[in-house]
Amino acid sequence: MNLIEQTRQQADALFNQLGLPSKRDEHWKYTDVSAWADALQAEPTSSNIKAENLGIADLDVYRLVFINGVFDGTSSNLPHDIDILPMSEFLSTHEGQALEAYARLFDVQADAPLMNGFEAYNAAHATDGAAVCLAANSKLDKPLYILHINNQNNIVRHGFILGEHAEAEIIEHFIGTDAQRGLSNMASHIILQDGAQLQHYRLQQESSKQAHIARVDVKQHQHSTYTLHAVELGGALSRVDVLVNLAEQGASCALHGLFVLSGRQHVDHHTRVDHTAPHCTSNETYRTVLDGRSHAVFNGKIMVHKDAIKTDSSMSNGNILLSKHAEIDTKPELEIYNDDVLCAHGATVGQLDDKQLFYMRSRGISQEAAQELLTFAFADEVLAAMNNDVVRRYVEQAAFAKLPHNEDIEGMLTT
Amino acid sequence: MLVVQDLHAEVDGKAILKGINLEVNAGEVHAIMGPNGSGKSTLANVIAGRDGYKITSGSVTYKNKDLLEMSPEERAWEGVFLAFQYPVEIPGVNNTYLLKAGVNAQRKHQGLDALDAFDFMSIVKEKAKLVELDPSFLSRSVNEGFSGGEKKRNEIFQMAVLNPSLALLDETDSGLDIDALRIVAGGVNKLRSADNAIVMVTHYQRLLNYIEPDFVHVLADGKIQKTGDKSLALELEERGYDWVKEEA
Ligand SMILES: Nc1ncnc2c1ncn2[C@@H]1O[C@H](COP(=O)(O)OP(=O)(O)O)[C@@H](O)[C@H]1O
Ligand SMILES: [Mg+2]
Repeated sequence: MNLIEQTRQQADALFNQLGLPSKRDEHWKYTDVSAWADALQAEPTSSNIKAENLGIADLDVYRLVFINGVFDGTSSNLPHDIDILPMSEFLSTHEGQALEAYARLFDVQADAPLMNGFEAYNAAHATDGAAVCLAANSKLDKPLYILHINNQNNIVRHGFILGEHAEAEIIEHFIGTDAQRGLSNMASHIILQDGAQLQHYRLQQESSKQAHIARVDVKQHQHSTYTLHAVELGGALSRVDVLVNLAEQGASCALHGLFVLSGRQHVDHHTRVDHTAPHCTSNETYRTVLDGRSHAVFNGKIMVHKDAIKTDSSMSNGNILLSKHAEIDTKPELEIYNDDVLCAHGATVGQLDDKQLFYMRSRGISQEAAQELLTFAFADEVLAAMNNDVVRRYVEQAAFAKLPHNEDIEGMLTT
Repeated sequence: MLVVQDLHAEVDGKAILKGINLEVNAGEVHAIMGPNGSGKSTLANVIAGRDGYKITSGSVTYKNKDLLEMSPEERAWEGVFLAFQYPVEIPGVNNTYLLKAGVNAQRKHQGLDALDAFDFMSIVKEKAKLVELDPSFLSRSVNEGFSGGEKKRNEIFQMAVLNPSLALLDETDSGLDIDALRIVAGGVNKLRSADNAIVMVTHYQRLLNYIEPDFVHVLADGKIQKTGDKSLALELEERGYDWVKEEA
């Protein structure tokens, strides 16, 4: 039995031990996944989805397409001389150190933060994923666009390993074609070597009956930088755990989150940033706009360990409830084990600002338009951090389409 | 143009305006002076339509219409403008586009076609020059990161673009240095005409050296205690407000 198979069997054993999380678990008390338990192990059947024209148009990118977790070669477009491959192919064509490094990404430990049965099951049973292996000092000349098209169960595990001072932009996009009920079980495991830089987008637009469960696990070495843009628009239920370990000095991460929810959508993000080493920086900004009977959960934990002196960390979570039936549970948490740190964190929950509304109305903007405009501006502020203009515009359009708007007010935003 | 009769207003059950009477005609400039907390901003806000005030009695008539029945935006469309004592910052909303939407909503209300981008920008540039507003402020978020003086200048710039019939200036002079005061006052003077009226709230006589009022009112304890011409402002500067209340 080879290394990978062995690791995956251990993961399966861990899954059998853990089972699926229940509402009795402190980290799952707001998110009930019991309705999807039966879907977890269902085998996907073949589908006749045509992927060619799906996804974000006008992107100049390398393209890797997965249909219900199965690599779709015909609609993909991969570079020739760089190691970006379907995981299945990568594992069967590499050996030695490269293989070992990726095999480790399948190694799940019961005592890892926020470990749960979905992640163990994913490590054991993922059908495929993207293996991105960038050599030291290499820069990916185009972004990598990983399109996931789902209408059934799918289990995908990505591994992105960026060598020293390598740079990349990776856009993960999740869309659904039709509304069958299914579960997407996703994981992205990321290692950034010294000085590496990754811009990472996760755009969740699954179909309205899909559940999306994901784990993003990032390990950062010296002076590496990681930026996440996590956008939640689709799906019936979405739970994403983001774990960043600032393991060596000078590393920095920025996590930007935007949820725009309506109907009965439920989205839960647990983020956990470990400041393990000195002189690391983390900035976290999450914003949610909730309409209808939607429910958002934000749990952001920053853990500053004993040796992590000169930590600079901030976290903010802003929420706007457009409907009195919408609900937010927000819990920013800070645990600090040394006193040489700069930390700021807070959360706000509110309706729109009365003073701003009156100011706009006194200039002749109708109440409705003023409310819409303030909501757009609130959401748009997080999107301003996106460096890819095509993606930003796409997300803007998609987010705005979900917000109530009667007048053409998009031109009134500053970005 | 504006007739305020026996206006009483409360905030959180506390009486603030206790019987205001004020008549403003086209072509006139009125100054309202008075101690802090006497209700000057409350009066301006009630006329502009801000929520949170309970009108317990009295009326406000503007161009023969009941102003208190109108929403803030309807008042704006009808030509009422308030330059805020504390202009509000609105991150993410573009200063110029906000104005453009305001102007075009007003035009729609008046049965006029929307201005196209070119015509609108030529007005904007002309008015920005009038108050010497740096064009870089046009594309920024509304008031965000503006200094106190820049915010006040932006208020008068907006007023110039919206071209109101009735302008309420709430302490537009506070926080302005003497050069900025001259520029802002110059802007206001250029907008004066026989068809419009200005009501300005101020603490300082010095503004009235630049914008000459036809009437000066003293508002104290929720009432207009005394009305005179601009010489009253000089007298207030010398003697304070207490004697006015005693006399009344
Ligand atoms: N929104 C409000 N909530 C509570 N009190 C208010 C509010 N607005 C005004 N007031 C009170 O009303 C009084 C008059 O305030 P204001 O009109 O701002 O006075 P001025 O502009 O003359 O200084 C003050 O006592 C003030 O505290
Ligand atoms: Mg005041």
